[in-house]
Amino acid sequence: MADTLTASGAQAPGGEPPRATAPGAGAARGDAPTADDRATNFFKVTGRTRTPAVPRLAAAANRSLAIVLLAGAWEALPRTGAVDPVFVPPLSEVLLAWYDLLLGGQLPEHFQASLLRSLSGFGLAIALAIPLGLAIGWYRPLADFLSPVLELFRNTSAVALLPVFILIFGLGETSKIVFVFYACAWPILLNTVSGVKTVEPLLIKSARSMGLGPFRLFQKVILPAAVPTIFTGIRLAGAYSILVLIFAEMVGAKAGLGYLIQDAQFSFRIPDMYAGIITISALGLLFNLLLLSVERRFSTWRTT
Amino acid sequence: MSLHTAEQSVAGRAVPGQEDLAGSTAGRSAVPVPEAAGSGRRAAGPPKIAIRDVGKVFRVRGADRPFTAVEGIDLDVREGEFLTLVGPSGCGKSTLLDLVAGLTAPTTGRILIDGREITGPGLDRGIVFQQYALFPWRTALDNIAFGLEAKAVPKKERQDRARHYLDLVGLDGFGQRYPHELSGGMRQRVAIARSLAFDPDVLLMDEPFAALDAQTRESLQEELLRIWEKTNKTVVFITHGIDEAVYLGQRVAVMTSRPGRIKQVLDVAFDSREGDLRADPRFGEYRHHIWTLLRDEVAVAQEQERTIG
Repeated sequence: MADTLTASGAQAPGGEPPRATAPGAGAARGDAPTADDRATNFFKVTGRTRTPAVPRLAAAANRSLAIVLLAGAWEALPRTGAVDPVFVPPLSEVLLAWYDLLLGGQLPEHFQASLLRSLSGFGLAIALAIPLGLAIGWYRPLADFLSPVLELFRNTSAVALLPVFILIFGLGETSKIVFVFYACAWPILLNTVSGVKTVEPLLIKSARSMGLGPFRLFQKVILPAAVPTIFTGIRLAGAYSILVLIFAEMVGAKAGLGYLIQDAQFSFRIPDMYAGIITISALGLLFNLLLLSVERRFSTWRTT
Repeated sequence: MSLHTAEQSVAGRAVPGQEDLAGSTAGRSAVPVPEAAGSGRRAAGPPKIAIRDVGKVFRVRGADRPFTAVEGIDLDVREGEFLTLVGPSGCGKSTLLDLVAGLTAPTTGRILIDGREITGPGLDRGIVFQQYALFPWRTALDNIAFGLEAKAVPKKERQDRARHYLDLVGLDGFGQRYPHELSGGMRQRVAIARSLAFDPDVLLMDEPFAALDAQTRESLQEELLRIWEKTNKTVVFITHGIDEAVYLGQRVAVMTSRPGRIKQVLDVAFDSREGDLRADPRFGEYRHHIWTLLRDEVAVAQEQERTIG
């Protein structure tokens, strides 16, 4: 089995796949299949069963090519002196520093602090903004009443309000969680409102014709129809939760990845600084992938 | 098969199906049921739907005059009847359907079902819309079960009944598909099954086949007749197609241009709908008669559209 796998694997990258040509060639000769043909056929069959894996691997390789090139450049440029290795140390050094921080326990500590704040603010935003958005989208008088205030606040940057949060909630955890919450609440709120408002009127009419009252209509039609749009907001908020938190941690904190980066830069531990940055990127990426998979589970029915 | 005796023919049939239909037709022509007796029996009973001097006026934003969609409509729909409603575009056909569905209230007049005035939508009436109106997050089966959930039917029974109606519209095996995975014709079949599943007495259909291609439309028309004969529903079918109106309807109600009224109700009497009904010379006569009735109305409707636009 190992042999056939290697064989098909070796053939596949070599330009034209053999399975496309072998049967045609055999037929053109017009004779009975030789042992050689059977062998190619055998490969052909195993090759076909393997095809889903090979292109997927190739696609994965293709997609990660840019990352590999970037990593290579990061390693090579400082070493050749094209870039000052003091400000941009080679990737290997950064990874070593990252590993040391991990073993030393600083990285898990900062990571945990950041994750806790970010998830608290994010979770709070989901818990409050979705019900509020549903209410605004569904209940017209509330929308009319609140929309001027919402319009005003959505155009006020969260960053501009950070000093206010610190003033009111102090330098501790509360101000950071409120800050993240504020930044996350907007995309969720606005998407929820628009999700509820843009439900196909015909679906509502159809459900009403089947005698559904307002509550059941909301539960069985409005809510499920709005889920994909709400999820778009949640995914945006997920990205915001990490982005804005790092900023808050740089302004005033004693722990967290933002603090780690800032502190490392102040004390000229440049590899540590990059280690922190890499961790944040990975965290953001992970968060988004997680939310994407949850979103897919909830909206398999969506065509686009 | 005599159209006016659809109920009897359903009662007398043991196994439904296309071949069986043909068989029963042969049997029926041997023992003809007098048409007058059938319609006479019907006329004696109270109408299933009674529309009495119904008018609907909309207030239009930005316009100084109110918009009269329909006016002075009088129409009786008999129990178990297939009535088609044909009229020029914008004559208020869909408004009338919404009124019967209870989705809007008439400005004047009354609509009675089984002698009781309707006060709102209800599961005694099922609607099939032109644009299917399926819930895209539900599979075909779950869509069909939707009305049963509203009716608070237990889950097990819901599933059984949904499956039964999925079979009835010829979609067994497609129950787990989402609407976007089905063709237009299949979606409309699901929509019909959904409206039948909660077992309404009346089926209201608003140009249900208008968005389909000609071939799909024809096969769905045939199937609708088969289902109607089998389930014995009262059907009110809106269309702008004269052929469709004549082909499907036992009676065809022709509407005037806006404000819509009933111009004439025409009895369509074919002995059988088997074979190529459209080639029947009487089909042409009915068709021409309705066309003549509609021609003037269409001209008026177009004039109206021009002056509004």
